[in-house]
Amino acid sequence: MLTLFLLLPIVGAAILAITPNEKKDEARWIALTFSGLAFAVSVVIFATFMSRLYSDTGVEGYQFVDRFVWIDAQDAGFTVQYFLGVDGLSAPMVLLTGLLSLAAVLVSWRVDLRVSEYFMWLLVLETAVSGVFLSLDLIQFFFFWELELLPMYLLISIWGSGRKEYSAMKFLLYTIAGSALMLVGFLVLGLTAGTFDIAELSANPPTTALVPLWAVFWAIMAAFLVKLPVFPVHTWLPDAHTDAPTAVSVMLAGVLLKMGGYGILRIVLPILPNEVRDFRVLLAAIAGFSVVYGAILTLRQTDLKRLVAYSSVSHMGFVLLGVAALTPLGLSGAALQMFTHGTITGLLFVMVGLVYDRTHTREISEMTGLMHRMPLIGVVMVVAGLASLGLPGLSGFVAELTVFLGSLGEHPAATIAAVSGVVLAAGYILWMMERVFMGPADDRWEHLTDATSWWERTLMAGMLITIIGVGVFPRVLTDAVESGIAPIIAIVGTT
Amino acid sequence: MLLPEIPEIAVWAIYLAPLASFVVIGAALRNRPLHAGRLTIAAVGLSWLLALWALDTSLDVDGVALGFPMHEWLTLFDLEVVLGVRLDGLTAVMLVVVTSVSLMVQIYSTGYMDGDTGYARYFAYMSLFTAAMLGLVVSASLLQLFVHWELVGLASYLLIGFWFHKPSAAAAAKKAFIVTRFGDFGFMLAVLLIWTKTGTFEIAAINEGAEHLSSAVLAGFTLGLFAGAVGKSAQFPLHIWLPDAMEGPTPVSALIHAATMVVAGVYLIARFFPSFEAAPSEVTSTVAYIGGFTAIFAATMGIVATDIKRVLAYSTISQLGYMVMALGLGGYVAAIFHLFTHAFFKALLFLGSGSVNHATNTFDMRRMGGLRHSMPITFWTFIIGALSLSGVFPLAGFWSKDEILLDAYNHNTLLFWVGVTVAGMTAFYMFRAIFLTFFGEYRGGEPPEEPGHGSDPSHPHESPRAMWAPLAILAVPAIGIGWVNLGGDFGVFVQGALPHVEHPFEFHIDSFVLAVSTVFALGGIGLAAAIYYARQPKAEVLLDRLAPVHSVVENKYYMDTIAETVLVRRVLLGGVGAAASLFDRYVVDGVVNGIGLATRTAGDAARRVQTGQMQAYTSLMLIGVVVATALLFGLRADQLDRLRDWLGV
Repeated sequence: MLTLFLLLPIVGAAILAITPNEKKDEARWIALTFSGLAFAVSVVIFATFMSRLYSDTGVEGYQFVDRFVWIDAQDAGFTVQYFLGVDGLSAPMVLLTGLLSLAAVLVSWRVDLRVSEYFMWLLVLETAVSGVFLSLDLIQFFFFWELELLPMYLLISIWGSGRKEYSAMKFLLYTIAGSALMLVGFLVLGLTAGTFDIAELSANPPTTALVPLWAVFWAIMAAFLVKLPVFPVHTWLPDAHTDAPTAVSVMLAGVLLKMGGYGILRIVLPILPNEVRDFRVLLAAIAGFSVVYGAILTLRQTDLKRLVAYSSVSHMGFVLLGVAALTPLGLSGAALQMFTHGTITGLLFVMVGLVYDRTHTREISEMTGLMHRMPLIGVVMVVAGLASLGLPGLSGFVAELTVFLGSLGEHPAATIAAVSGVVLAAGYILWMMERVFMGPADDRWEHLTDATSWWERTLMAGMLITIIGVGVFPRVLTDAVESGIAPIIAIVGTT
Repeated sequence: MLLPEIPEIAVWAIYLAPLASFVVIGAALRNRPLHAGRLTIAAVGLSWLLALWALDTSLDVDGVALGFPMHEWLTLFDLEVVLGVRLDGLTAVMLVVVTSVSLMVQIYSTGYMDGDTGYARYFAYMSLFTAAMLGLVVSASLLQLFVHWELVGLASYLLIGFWFHKPSAAAAAKKAFIVTRFGDFGFMLAVLLIWTKTGTFEIAAINEGAEHLSSAVLAGFTLGLFAGAVGKSAQFPLHIWLPDAMEGPTPVSALIHAATMVVAGVYLIARFFPSFEAAPSEVTSTVAYIGGFTAIFAATMGIVATDIKRVLAYSTISQLGYMVMALGLGGYVAAIFHLFTHAFFKALLFLGSGSVNHATNTFDMRRMGGLRHSMPITFWTFIIGALSLSGVFPLAGFWSKDEILLDAYNHNTLLFWVGVTVAGMTAFYMFRAIFLTFFGEYRGGEPPEEPGHGSDPSHPHESPRAMWAPLAILAVPAIGIGWVNLGGDFGVFVQGALPHVEHPFEFHIDSFVLAVSTVFALGGIGLAAAIYYARQPKAEVLLDRLAPVHSVVENKYYMDTIAETVLVRRVLLGGVGAAASLFDRYVVDGVVNGIGLATRTAGDAARRVQTGQMQAYTSLMLIGVVVATALLFGLRADQLDRLRDWLGV
C-alpha cells in the first residue's frame, strides 16, 4: 500500500516524460489522475490506520510495512534497507502530502509553459516528499530528502518569477549545506551502531560514537532547522516562496517545511534523546525568538506572498517550541502544528496565487477593495487568515493551544514570547485583509472575476473542510498523533 | 415555578439555535434576505423563550448551579478537554439579558437595515454574534468560554466592518479585533497557567480550588483574566477601540454595548469572582481603581463629544468602569445588577440614536435639534433611557447605581466620590445630548448621498413600526426592571452562582448615599438645561474659556494618536520592525551571501594551488601528514580503536 502511494506519482511522472509539451490538456489530466489516485490511497491509508487504532487491539509499531534489503554490505558492517511504514506521526503527514499534492496540481491548471515537464517535476516532488515521511531507514530517508531538491530547483528556476535563479540556487545551497552535515551525522550513527534502521536505533539509542554525540546532534539538526526553518537559517524561505510558482509555494509551505519538524521528531528525538535534553533550553530560546522575529518581519512586508512566507517562519517556531518542551503535549502540539500549518498556509498560498492570477501584482499597496470583485476568494482568504491567527473553531488554534500547554511549564519565557506572536499574527493578517480586500472598489480591478472554474472551487472547498473539520473535531487527528508521540515520549520524556 | 426543570438539551439549544441560523443563512439564504431576517428573529426568539425557561428553573433552586454532565471533546495525554453547559443564577440573568436585547435588536434591524445590499449577510453575522455570546455565558469550562470569547471578537469584527467599503469601517473593525486581542494575550496566558497548575479547565473546579493555589499563581491567573476583561470591556488603556466601533450599523452598536461583547469582560470577572476574592488584595484594588478611573475618564470625553453615538459609546465605557469598580470592591451583586439594568436602557438609547439617524441621516448633534415634535416616540423613550442612565429615582438605573455607590461608600471613600462625580457627569452629558437633539431649532440633518434613496432628512419623521416598537418595549424595563431587587431577591439569586457566600445579600438604602447621588444627578441635568436649553451661560462662551482643556479631551487625551502613530507606526513598524528588517537583510542574509562569496573566492584560490609544481605538492603533503599524525595522537584510545575498526586496519 505504501509502495503504491510512493510509486503512483512517479509512474505519472514517467508517463508525462513521454507526453509532448504541446498536449497540454492531456498532461493536466494525467497529472490530476495520478495525484488524485495518490490522494485516494493516502485517504485509505489514513482511514485504515485510524480504524486499526480504534479497534480493540489498537496499533503496535509501524503499519503497512514494506521492507526488503536494498544494499547488502554485511561484510562492511551495514545494510541499507528499503523500509516503509507509518505510525501515528507519519499517517497525518501522508494524508497532508496527498491532499496538498492534489491541490498543487489543481492550482497549476493554468500553467502554460512546458506543461508536461512541469507536471512531471511536480509529481516527482510528491514522491520525494512521501518517501521522506515513509522511510524508516536513515540512508533511504536521506535518498528521498535529496531527491526533493532536483524538482524544486527546476520548478523554481524555470517556472518561477522575479529573481528565480537566485532564489532557486539559494534554496539549493542552503539545503545541500544542511543535508551534507546530516549525511555525516547519519553515517556516524549508522556505522557506530551497525545499522541504519530507524526503529532499531530508536530502541537502542547510541551512547557513544566516533565523534562526540553533541556534534552528531547539531550536524543532523542543522539540516532540519534549515528546513523548518527558524532564525537564523530562514532567509532562503521568503526568496524561494516569492519567486516560486504558486503550486510550489503550496508544496513548500504545506509539506516540505514539515520534513524538518518530522525529521526532528522521527530521528533526532528517539535516537539522540540525551543531546536533545542538553540543548532544549537553547532550542526553546531559538523557537521563541523565531516566532516574534518572524512576526515582526511579517508586519513589514509589502508583497502579499512574502508576507505569507514570513508568517511561516513565525508559525514554524511553534513546532520547535513544542519539541523543545519534551512533554507529551509539546510534542503532540508540534505534530499537530505541522499538519494544521500545512493546510492553512497551503490554502493561503493558493489564495494568493488566485489573486495574483487576476491582478498580476502582489504589491499590497496596489490592491484595494478586492472583496467587491471577488467575494468568494475574499471570504475564503478571510477564513484562512483567521485560521492562521489562531481563531478557535479552526484548526490552527488546537495546535497552538497544545504547544503552549505543553511548553508553559518547561519554558515560560519562550512560551510567553510565542503567545505574543499570536497577537502580532492578528495584526499582520487583519491589516493585510484591510488593505487588500476592504475599502472602496477600485476601477482598475473592475474587470476581475471571482473564482468560477471547477478546479478553483474544488480546491478551496477541500482545504476549507479540512481546516474547519480539524478545528471542530480535532479528535481524529489528536488520537493519531497521540499514538505516534507516545513511543517517542517514552524514550525522550523528562519525567 | 411554572414549568418543569429545563433539560440539558434545551440549555444547549439556547446557544445552538442562533448558531444554526448562522449556518443556514450562510449556506442557503444568501440570496433570500427576507428569509434570513425572519430566521434570525425566529432563532433568537426561540432562545429567548428557552432562556425564560432556564430562568424559571434556576429561580426554583435559588440560582444554585444545576449539575449537568460534561462531554469529552478532546483527550490527548494528560490534557482532557470537556465541554458542558452551566446554569446558575449568573448564567440565567445573562441569558435573559442577551436574548431579550438581541431579540429587540433583530426586530429593529429589519426596519433599520431595510434595503441594504448586505441584508442577509448582516443577519448571518448577527446570528453568529448572538450565538457566540450565548455560548460564552453557558460555558462550564474556561477553555470553552475562551473559544466563544474569541468568536464574539470575530463576530464583532465582521459587524463593525460590515460596511467594509468604507475605509474607516474596515480600520475600526481591525482596531477592535487587535486591541481586544492585546487583552486576550493575558487571558490566554491565564488559561495556560491555570491548566499547568491545576490540570483542569472546569470553572467550578477552578473557583473552588482557588484558595489552595499559591498567591503568585492566583495573582497571575486573575490578572491575566482581568487583562482580557480590560480589552473586551473597553477599560483604560484598551478602551480606544470602542468609540471607533461606532462605524458598524447602529443596531450592532446597541448589541455590542448593551448585551454582548463589552459586558463579556464584566461577566468574566464575575464568573471568576471567587478566584478574584481569593487573590491578593492588590489584584482587587487594581481592578477597582482601573474601573473607577475608566468611569471618570470616559465621562469627560462623553461631555465633549458631538456625535450622539459617541456620547453613548463613552457612556458605555464609563458605566462598564462602574461595574468593574464594583467588582474590585467586592460588589458582585451590585455589578451584575448594574449590568442587568444597563443592558435595557443602553439598548434603548442606542436604538433611539439609530432612529434619529434614520430620520436625519447623521449622528452629528450639531445638525439635529427640535426633533421632539417630529419624533415623539423616539423622544419620550430616549428621555426614559437617559433618566434611567442618569440614575433618577425610581427608574431602573437608580437602583443599580445606588448599589454600586453604596459598596464604594462602605469600602473606599475616594472611589465613592469618583462614582458620585461620574453620576453627575453622566446626567449632564445625557441631557446635553437630549437638548441638542430634540430641543431648539432643527438644523437640517445631512443630505442623502444618493438623492431619492431612503428618507428625506429635510423633513424628519418618526421611524417605521419595526423600529419604534422595540423602543417602546425596551422603555418598560428601563423604567421598572430595577424593582426586581427591592427585596434583595435578585441579589440572593445571582449569589446562588457562588460556591459559598459569606454575607448573603441584603437590600438596604443609605439615606446619605441616596441624597448625594440624587443631588448630583439632578445637578447634572440642571446644568445641562442651563447651558443647552436656557443658554445661560452660553456653551460657546464656556468653550472659549476652556479651549485648551477642551481640545485635549476632544482629542481623546491623544491616546489614539499615541497608540496608533507612536507605538504601532513609529515604534513597532518604524523602529523595531525596520531594525529587524535591516538586520534580516544585511546581517542574516548578508552572512549567507558572504559565505557564498567566500566559497567562490576560496574556490578561485584553491584553483591557483593547482600549479603543477612538484615541490609545492610535496611540501603540502608533508604538512598534511604532520597534521594528521598530530590529530591521531590527539584522539582518545577508544576513539582510535573505533577509527581502526572502521577503516578495517
